Order: sequence, then structure tokens, then C-alpha cells
Amino acid sequence: MADPLDDASARKGSAELLILAALEDGQLHGYDIAREITRRSGGLLAFHVASLYPLLYKIEEKKWIQGRWVEKQGQRRRRCYRLTAEGHRMLAKQRSRWEAFVGALTRAAGLRHA
Amino acid sequence: MPDWRARLRERMAAEGVVPSAHSEAIDEIADHLADLDRAAEADGRSPDEAAALVEAELSRMGPLAIAVAEREQRNARTNPHAADWRAGLMADARHALRTLRLNRGFSAIVIATLAIGIGSSTAVFSLVNALLLGSLPFPKPEELVLFWETGDDRNETFIVAAPVYEDWVRETRSFSAIGIWEYRTFNVASAQEPEQVRGIRASASVFRVLGVPPALGRVFSAEEEQPGHHVVVVSDAVWRAHLGADRSAIGKTVRLNGEPHEVIGVMPRGFEFPGKGTGVWTPLGLTNQDRERGSHSFFVAGRLGSGSTFESARAEVEQIGRALEQKFEANRDEGSTITLMADFGMEQTKRMLTALMGAVLLVLLIACANVANLQLGRALVRRREFVMRLSLGAGMARLARQLLAESLVLATAGWGFGVALAWAGARAADLILMPGFRTLQFRGEVPITIDGRVLAFAALTAVVSAVMFGFAPLVGLKRKEPSVLLRDGERGSTGVAHATRRSLVALEVALAIIVLCGAGLLIKSLTGLMQVSPGFDARDVLTLQVSLPQANTYGPPERASFCADLTRGTEGLPGILRIGATSHLPLSGANAGRALTIEGRAVPTPQDGAQADFRLTCPGYFSTLEIPILDGRDFTERDSRDSERVAIVNRELADKYWPGVRPVGKRLKLGSLGNSNPWLTVVGVADNVHHFSLEDAARRELYLPYSQAAWPVMTVVAKTVGDPVSWQVTLREAIKRVDPDLPVARVQAMSSVIDGSVDWRETPMKLLTGFALIGLLLAAIGVYGVLGYFVSQRTREIGVRSALGATRTQLAGLVLRQSMSPIAAGVVLGIAGSFVSGRLLTEMLYQVKPGDPEVIAVIVILLLIVGLLASWLPARRAAGIDPMVALRED
Repeated sequence: MADPLDDASARKGSAELLILAALEDGQLHGYDIAREITRRSGGLLAFHVASLYPLLYKIEEKKWIQGRWVEKQGQRRRRCYRLTAEGHRMLAKQRSRWEAFVGALTRAAGLRHA
Repeated sequence: MPDWRARLRERMAAEGVVPSAHSEAIDEIADHLADLDRAAEADGRSPDEAAALVEAELSRMGPLAIAVAEREQRNARTNPHAADWRAGLMADARHALRTLRLNRGFSAIVIATLAIGIGSSTAVFSLVNALLLGSLPFPKPEELVLFWETGDDRNETFIVAAPVYEDWVRETRSFSAIGIWEYRTFNVASAQEPEQVRGIRASASVFRVLGVPPALGRVFSAEEEQPGHHVVVVSDAVWRAHLGADRSAIGKTVRLNGEPHEVIGVMPRGFEFPGKGTGVWTPLGLTNQDRERGSHSFFVAGRLGSGSTFESARAEVEQIGRALEQKFEANRDEGSTITLMADFGMEQTKRMLTALMGAVLLVLLIACANVANLQLGRALVRRREFVMRLSLGAGMARLARQLLAESLVLATAGWGFGVALAWAGARAADLILMPGFRTLQFRGEVPITIDGRVLAFAALTAVVSAVMFGFAPLVGLKRKEPSVLLRDGERGSTGVAHATRRSLVALEVALAIIVLCGAGLLIKSLTGLMQVSPGFDARDVLTLQVSLPQANTYGPPERASFCADLTRGTEGLPGILRIGATSHLPLSGANAGRALTIEGRAVPTPQDGAQADFRLTCPGYFSTLEIPILDGRDFTERDSRDSERVAIVNRELADKYWPGVRPVGKRLKLGSLGNSNPWLTVVGVADNVHHFSLEDAARRELYLPYSQAAWPVMTVVAKTVGDPVSWQVTLREAIKRVDPDLPVARVQAMSSVIDGSVDWRETPMKLLTGFALIGLLLAAIGVYGVLGYFVSQRTREIGVRSALGATRTQLAGLVLRQSMSPIAAGVVLGIAGSFVSGRLLTEMLYQVKPGDPEVIAVIVILLLIVGLLASWLPARRAAGIDPMVALRED
């Protein structure tokens, strides 16, 4: 999809991408998703609870991820999310869009790769 | 660590979202917060620092609140199954419990109001249940019927003459058994004190009709039914009291009215047919007088045979009645019919309970309107929550379910307290209601219990009320964009709700007026009735019953000197001024009737056979009760068995049979012209008295001296000095001196006899008044609630007015005007309603009609006063508003 990214959808899209990416390696519950994103971004990106869950619920409704209650022995029941097949496809698609966007941004703004 | 689940709910509620009790989103997010808290503490932060850190995560709650609400909504929509719905309702109920616990004051008022409404309906229903829905204590009670002869008007029934009973027995096919009896009172004498016991002389078939065998021995045989057989069946109570509960008592002898009778049977415990306290059953033994077709003195009962229905049996009996009418002169213009035994004597009870049930249901409606009103008031506070949820896509149905859950929780509590109230009410019923109201003919004393049916009725009223008041908060709700809500803290539209509340007040006022008018009509009836002169002076008159030995009620008297002995025995006693006695005391319910032949009158046409009520008196009876002798004289001791036979007639009888002629000196006889009864010479005319009830027209009455006729029970009347009851020992002892074996019963003041005759009016009047006052109180609370809310909403406006110079009076007037329009509307509606509902009471009214202007005027004034009082507090608060405080408030 080659539609240009406007400011708002870029912000929203980036958050969605972060969540999808965090779930790429397996299922996680909300707290771990937030922690994983913080860890991967070296502490630069952090989700507040108040913004994480509205997003999770929205993505779940789009059927990109699926949440279910998991009960492990000796632990509390937690709601864990994992990528659906559609989620995997969306992750790949968003990645390529963001790569193109970041490439363009790098070139256009004269950024250097970290 | 803080309870993050609770904290999260609090924050949500602040945003106007109340997630359901089982919200998974809340669980999930609260877990997340708890993890953050733990992690922060693990990093070495103090608990307070950690909590502050977590709290920061919730800094922008709006989107989260919406997301959670939307998610719940989706879940609710995608789980449409009934089981889920029920689970949801349970969850809603738990949530409701929590919500209501948080609003203790509100909940308490609602529950108390409901408990009053449900409790009064349930208490009255428990009476209906016991008295109207209960059954006769005999096998297959639905098969039992009573036989009646009828007059011109087929609805007018009278007791039966023995020959007609014999015709029925011979000619009907619809019955498996038919039995006959006549009420008697017996002096039962054994080793014990003599005792006056009610009893009947009855055919053996009576026991077959009832289907109850004796516990010991046997009942009489057909042969023993003929005159001259001195056998008796006694009750368990008599067996215990007079035969020492001896199982070998069969064959022993007891003295009944002085004559020895052989005990042949003992009935089982609790068997008291035909009425409470019956203890003696003797064989019928029909005499020649009994066999007169005009001599109506028997009761007849039957049991429907297999294959016959009540309707077919009635058709058969009525057919036979028509045949008898053709065949016998004496049965001209008479008919026969049957009624269900269970319905006998229930008209007044039925009428009273119907009116009361109507009244308490109206009170319940008022209670519901009141609760709906309270709900609406609170809904205005909760509006943000409702509008928000609606706007997020919650269907009205979803909100309705939550409200239903809340109202069901409230109604359940109201049910519990209501049943407790009803239980107490049923216990108190014995104290409040007329003596013996639970004692029904053929059923004895009926216990009032809270059984399954009563509980179910209470539950039904609770659920119906919950539905009626529960949905009130939905009135006037509209969907709004959530963003709009979150931005400006929308208060919701209050106009519609306020209008609804005022309509509810109008409704409450209307219902209260209806019940009040009902009570008012009964009060006016009773006060009017109590002003009717009974035709005698009951002041300072003591009455007591004496049983006399008398086997044959047609005389001659076995104790001819009774009156003379009584007079002599009490002569010169301190406190007793005058004394007399009668067989049938006015207003006591006792009566007897006789067919008459008037000398010189053309042979009576069948339509107009002479008859009159029949009384025996002792000399002094008329002067003791101050019944005027209009002409001629009272009986004296000189009217004896051997002197000329004499009679006194009342004014009604004289006017009927000797119109325009002086009756004194005329002659009449009992029964038909050809019989052997002696001619009686009229020696006096007494004025009319009200014999059956104060409202009844006077009846024809014939008085004979006791010395020349006979009756087994006489009521002694004595004019005393001051409080009559205080002279009862003096009088009892005097009678004991006359004859130590005469049992004395029913000692009471004549004024109590009059009171007793209006008990059946007084009881419903008292109860209806009680319920009406409860209704009035509830309506007043409704008025107060709405005005209080009005004032709190308009504080600012009132403050401005006050600042601009409005006087306190003007401000109070502003508030009062608010209450006056719904009250006025309610008054108009209520008056209209009272015309309709008053018809329920028509049968209980005396010289007053539904819509009586005086009653309505008094009720409306009462209501306006109460309405003003209820408005007064809010109005005073408004008048006292400090403009500065009011203006700062917003």
C-alpha cells in the first residue's frame, strides 16, 4: 500500500507496529508487552497503561492479535496476546511501509543510521 | 500495595463508566498496575513512591474508560445466549448490591417504602388466603351444598321447613346424602358444673353428608331419628369435660336439659359441625309442629353424588321447588335452591376483604410511585453514567437489565421486610379485627398463616413493583456523543425527568385520595349509623344468657315460674333497678319466626300469609329497655298458664294487620287457622326496635309471655345503677339463688351488644383508615422529595431572586406553586377515581353514596394541608437561601 502516511495515522501506526513486533516471538500479557517495547527501544519508548489497552483492544478487534486467558500452574490467570495469521501479514506489511518511510525520512532529512 | 482493582473502578466511575462486576478488562488492567507497583518496589522505591508512579499511568483515563466500556458492550452483544444473560443479570445484581450499599440512605428509604406496600398487601392477602381461599374441614368439601327455600325473589333465601326437606330427600337424584338440623342449646349436666353447650338436633344423614365417622361408638340410626329416643353423640371437648375422656364412656348417661341421654358416640377432636363450640348432637325427632310447611326453622345440607355437578343439581332442586309450588298452598310463591356450603355467610367477609385488598393494592401503587420518584431523583445524579453508556452503544435493553437487577435487589429486601411486617400484621389481626372474625360457619376458627401461597403472592407483588418502579431512570435519556460528554461534564436533560416526577406526585395524590375517600365513606356510614336510635335505651343495661330446661320449644314451659322467680330473686338488690328477660335480644343476632292467623281477617291469600318474628318476654322487659308501650299494657305475673292467652304486638305488626284499628283486644293464633293452637288476645302494642341491625327497617314482632309459651334460652336484662358490668356478680348470684343449676353465659353490657352489631362495619373502617393514612404519608413523602429536589436544583436562581430583592414570602411562594399544580391535578384525578372505586364499597355504606360531597371536601382539605406541610420544609429552605452562598455554589 503506497498511500502516504499523515501525521496522525503515522503515530497510531507506529504504536500498532510496536505491539505487533513485540508479539512476533510468542504470546505475552499486557505488562510484558509494555516492558518488551521499552526494553527493545532501550528505554526510549514507553506505553502508559491508559494508552496501551485501548490500542490492544482495537488491534484485537481487527483480529490481528488474539487474547485469551492463560492459567499456568502456580501463577495467576493472565490474559495473553499472540499474533494471528492476519497479524503476521500486517506486521510484514507495516514493516515494509515503515522501512520505506524511514528510508525516505533518512534520505530527505539527511539522517544518519544509528 | 493499594487495591488497584478498586482504584481503577473509582477512576472509571469518575469518568462516568461503571464496568460490570465481572469485567475482564478491569481484571487484566488491574493486574498490569499491580505488576508495575511490584516492579517499582523491587527497584527500591517506597510503597508511596511506587503507588504514585503507577497512578501516573492512569493520568489520561478518558480513552481507557471508553475502550473498556466499548469492550464490555461488545462482549454483552456477542453473548446473546439466555444463560449468559442470566449470568449477566446475576453479575448485575451483585453490582447492584454494591451500588446500593454505597447509597445506604437511599436504599433504606426505598426498602422501607416497599416493605410497607408489600407488607400491607401481603397481610391482607394472608386474610384472603385463610378466609376466602381456605376449604371446609371435611372430605371433598367442594361437593357440599346447602339447601334453601326461596321467596318471590329467588335471591332471598330462608331456612327450611321439615316437609320440604322430606320432599327433597324423596325426589332428588343428584345427591349421595341430604341431612337436616336445627340449632339448640343444651344444659349439659354431669358430675361437673352444669354447662351451656351449643348443639343441634339432626338427622343421622348429617354425618354421612359430612363424611366424618365418630371416633368412638356410633351415630344415630334412622330409627332413633323418630321422637322419643334419648341418645346423644358428643364432641371430644364434652367427652373430656363431662365424661373424663373415658374410652368406655359409650353407654353412659349424661343429663341434657335435665333429661338423661345415653351417649352412643364421640366425634373426633376438632369436629364442631355446624359451628365453633358445638358439642352435642341429638336425633331429629320431628314433632307435629315441626311438620308444618310454614314452620321454617331447619338447615339442610347435602353432598353431590358422583356424576352430578353443582349446576345440574341446582337445576334439579329448583325444578322440584316449582313442582312443590303447584302442589302445596303453603309453598305458593316459594322455590328451592342450593348454594355451595363454602360460600355460606361469606358475603360480608368477601366484601370487606375485596375492599381492603383494593385499598392495599392502591397503597402498594403509591409506594411504587414513590420509589420510582426516588429512583428518578437519583437517576438525575447517575445520568452521566447512563448517557455515557448509551452513547457508547449500550442498548436501552442493556441499561434496563442493570436497572432491573437493581430494582430486583431492592424489591427482594422489600419482600423480606414486607413478609415480616405481614407476619406481625397477621398476629395483630386478632387484636385489631372484630372478635371472632376468624371464626367461620362450618369451619370453626381459621388460623391466619404465612404459607407458601402468601409468600408467593408477596414475591409477585415485589417483582411487579420492581418492574413498575425500576425503569423510571430511563425516562428522558438520550444518546450523546461520548466526546461531548467527556468534554463538558454534561448533566443530561432534566426537564423530562422532572415533569415525570411531578406526574408521579399527581398520581400518588390521586391514589391517596381514592383510598382516603373509601375510608371517609365508611367512617361517615358508621357515625351515621351510631346515631340511629335502636328503639331502646341501652344505657346501664346488663345482659346475660340463662339456659332453661326445655325439651320442646313449642311449650308448655317446664319452668313456668322463671319470670316470677327472677323478679323476686332480684327485688331490693342494690344497684339493680328493673329486670326482665327475652328469648331474642335485639341486635344479638338471635331470631325466630312464626306463621300467624289473624282473627277476622279474610282467609290469607297465599302471597300474604301472615307471619311475624317471635319473641318471649318476662314482665318488665319493655320497661327495662325503655321500649315504649304505645297502647295497652305489659305482661304481668297474672298472665299465667291457666289464665287467658295474651300477646303484645309491635307497631309494625299492628299497622300491617289492623290498619287504622285499635289492636288491643283483637285475637290471633300461631300457625294456620285449623290447628289446635289457642287464640291469643292482644293486650298491648310496643314500639318498634331494630332487631337485626341498626340499618334494617323494623320487622313485625309478636311477643308472648314466657309463662304461657317456652324457649330454652332466655336473656336476662337488668337496668343498673352506673356501669352495668360492675353489677354482674350481684346478678349472677341472684340467678344462682333462683336455681343453682341454671348455666349462665355471655354476660355483657347492652351497649357492647350494639357495638357488636356494627363490628363488621367498624373493622374494615379502621383498617381502611389505617391504610389510607399510610397512603397519605407516602404521598406526602413524594411531594416533599420532588420539592426538595426542585429547591436544590434552583438554588442559584433563588439566590439571584433573593439578591434582587424577592422577599422570603415570595420565594416560599415560588416553591409552593411547584407543588400545587401536581397536587391539584392529583386531587381532580382522585375525586374522579373515588366515584369509581366507591362502588366497591356500596354494600358497606349506610345513607351515604360514593362521591359524597362532604366526604370529598374533608379529604381534599386534609390532603391540601398535608401537601402544604410536605412543601413547607423545602419552601422554608428556599426562603432561607443566602444569595452569596447560592451564587458561589456553581
